[in-house]
Amino acid sequence: MNRTHTPNAFGVDPWKARIDRVFARALVLPLLLALGLLALLLGDTLYRSFSVQVVRADEGPGRTYPFGLSAQEILRQDLLARGYTEEEVAFALEDPKERQVLFLQNRVELMWNTQDGPFRYVVTGVYDERVADFSLAEGLRRWNELKANLQEGERLVLNPWLDQTFLTRPPSRSPLTAGIGVAIWGTVWVLSLALLIAIPVGIGTAILLEEYLREGRLSRILEVNLRNLAGVPSIVYGLLGLALFVRSMGIGPTILAASMTLGLLGIPVIVVTAREALRAVPESLRLAAFALGATRRQVVFRVVVPAALPGMVTGVILSAARLIGEAAPLLLVGAAAYVPFLPSSPLSQYTVIPVQIYLWISQNQPEFARVAAAGILVMLLLLSVLYLLALYLRNRFRREW
Amino acid sequence: MEILKQRPSRHPWEVLTFALLLLLSSVTLLTTLGVILSLLGDVVEFFRRVPLREFLFAPEWTPLFANPRYGIAPLLAGTFLVTAIALLVAIPLGLSLAIYISEYLTPEKRSRILGILELFGGIPTVVFGYFALLFVTPLLQRVIPGLSLFNPLSAGLVMGFAILPYVSNVAADAMQSVPRAMREAAYALGARPYEVALKVVFPAAISGIIAAIILATSRAIGETMIVAIAAGQRPALTLDPRETIATMTSYIVQAATGDQPVGSTPYYALFAVGFTLFVLTLLLNILAQWIVERYRERYE
Repeated sequence: MNRTHTPNAFGVDPWKARIDRVFARALVLPLLLALGLLALLLGDTLYRSFSVQVVRADEGPGRTYPFGLSAQEILRQDLLARGYTEEEVAFALEDPKERQVLFLQNRVELMWNTQDGPFRYVVTGVYDERVADFSLAEGLRRWNELKANLQEGERLVLNPWLDQTFLTRPPSRSPLTAGIGVAIWGTVWVLSLALLIAIPVGIGTAILLEEYLREGRLSRILEVNLRNLAGVPSIVYGLLGLALFVRSMGIGPTILAASMTLGLLGIPVIVVTAREALRAVPESLRLAAFALGATRRQVVFRVVVPAALPGMVTGVILSAARLIGEAAPLLLVGAAAYVPFLPSSPLSQYTVIPVQIYLWISQNQPEFARVAAAGILVMLLLLSVLYLLALYLRNRFRREW
Repeated sequence: MEILKQRPSRHPWEVLTFALLLLLSSVTLLTTLGVILSLLGDVVEFFRRVPLREFLFAPEWTPLFANPRYGIAPLLAGTFLVTAIALLVAIPLGLSLAIYISEYLTPEKRSRILGILELFGGIPTVVFGYFALLFVTPLLQRVIPGLSLFNPLSAGLVMGFAILPYVSNVAADAMQSVPRAMREAAYALGARPYEVALKVVFPAAISGIIAAIILATSRAIGETMIVAIAAGQRPALTLDPRETIATMTSYIVQAATGDQPVGSTPYYALFAVGFTLFVLTLLLNILAQWIVERYRERYE
């Protein structure tokens, strides 16, 4: 008789034990696969946000400038090198309007490597033309060859697409000078106004459901409704925003319409997290307050809500992180517009980070994929900051009751 | 404490607070009403112009052609195709992940891994779309000849990972709520851990697991950016995962980013598609809730 099939003294079938081990190990695979995909996604995006480029300057020699000069000095030298006179340059840099236009049309950026050596500044104009764009590996392998073949007015750079100027610049028709500044401000505007709607409604509903309503028809209706709202695809909220806010109420494709749309989208998430926070407050606290003669309003707003506040804040931050990444509903309420200026009021035109990224991805020029990669990195960095903040708050203010 | 909620106070401050909270929460009801009414008005207008028969049975969706056709079938086929591929990825991975999380981890590790998965679900779908289009598609094109640049295959594969947390977290929740006594009884009868997981916990949690799958399906149907970026925007009545298609959501994006004059039939068509999407996901959500409610009492 085959020993491996005989149960041992404790009645353990060795075959089953083996299946058990294999099963337990195999179960780790999906997790590893998911984490692997995540790593691949981040790595790929990071890799794409660097490239080796040969760029032909629209005018001038395509010089590079040493590290340490101010942006203004670099631009001055570059304009001089392009053949403008001292007076013209001095005038343009002193007049605030001219200066602004000048800096919009010329991007002074630090390259990690250039034909003249590492970490030097170049000035990229809107009309500069990309001659070649290589991935990091290919570009570095062929660096010397490319350097030897540089033509007059061309420069060879290792371009980190995500740099300081990228964060502040407006979008542009040329990928070389495009930035995410306008979209960042759009996101800040839309998100803060959206939260202004979603926080009171979400937390108010949560308090009503947890602290005031008995099990009954009203609470049942509210709950079922919220559960269904949470399942509505976000793009349907976009259609609501388009039909109701943009068209019927005549708000137009503005920040206000976008934040109302996004605010409604955020409510169900905030309700869920706020209810969890309220439920975590122990019943004894409420009973103690009632026993001291507090009215329900006092119990709720002076005892329960303060105790639940850290949890609520964490929940709000997490929902804010969700809302930041929403592109679909905002595409319908005007975020797809080309907006070259910073938004100044709730009735301004706007665009937001994820929509800007989508617009870049749908461009034909291959460099826009690099700009999009830089944009994705900005968005993911922003989200990680929010997640870390939520995590910190959760741990810092966690109370054992 | 339900008993403390019994008697509402008549004090003006109390009444005011209550009224304010009611007012705030009424916004959630108004939102639903708004969604239904705003869609319905334009949908009615759409069906005044296009017969229902055309919408249901025409084989093409070409609102912008000189000879417009308004058949929803190609968009439904596209949605179905992408969703099916996503579920093929998400169900096996998500369920084994759920078993692992619920049955094989200590509580601390469990909450840590659930946190990581939640983070995974927090990645904006634009990012997944970018990854599908620029990384997965070129990779697949080397293996599969005739794969177009925009295809439901890579969109679906990546979407499978995007909806993975919905499957795994909800299913793990369901498995966690299976009473401990059942596991202990199985162990007492000499079952091995894998037998407990597969033959006791899994069947006991099946209603929650099915609900998780249905919810993930509804997510996949409503998911927009991945398909808009990676699956293309050309409606085609096909189930071939190599060809460019359009889903309901990607059509809405395409139509919305183009300029539709208000009042034109294509503009109303946008809402007809949106309404179909809304009804479909709503039905799925209600079904999932019904399944959960129907089988919930079993262990209580």
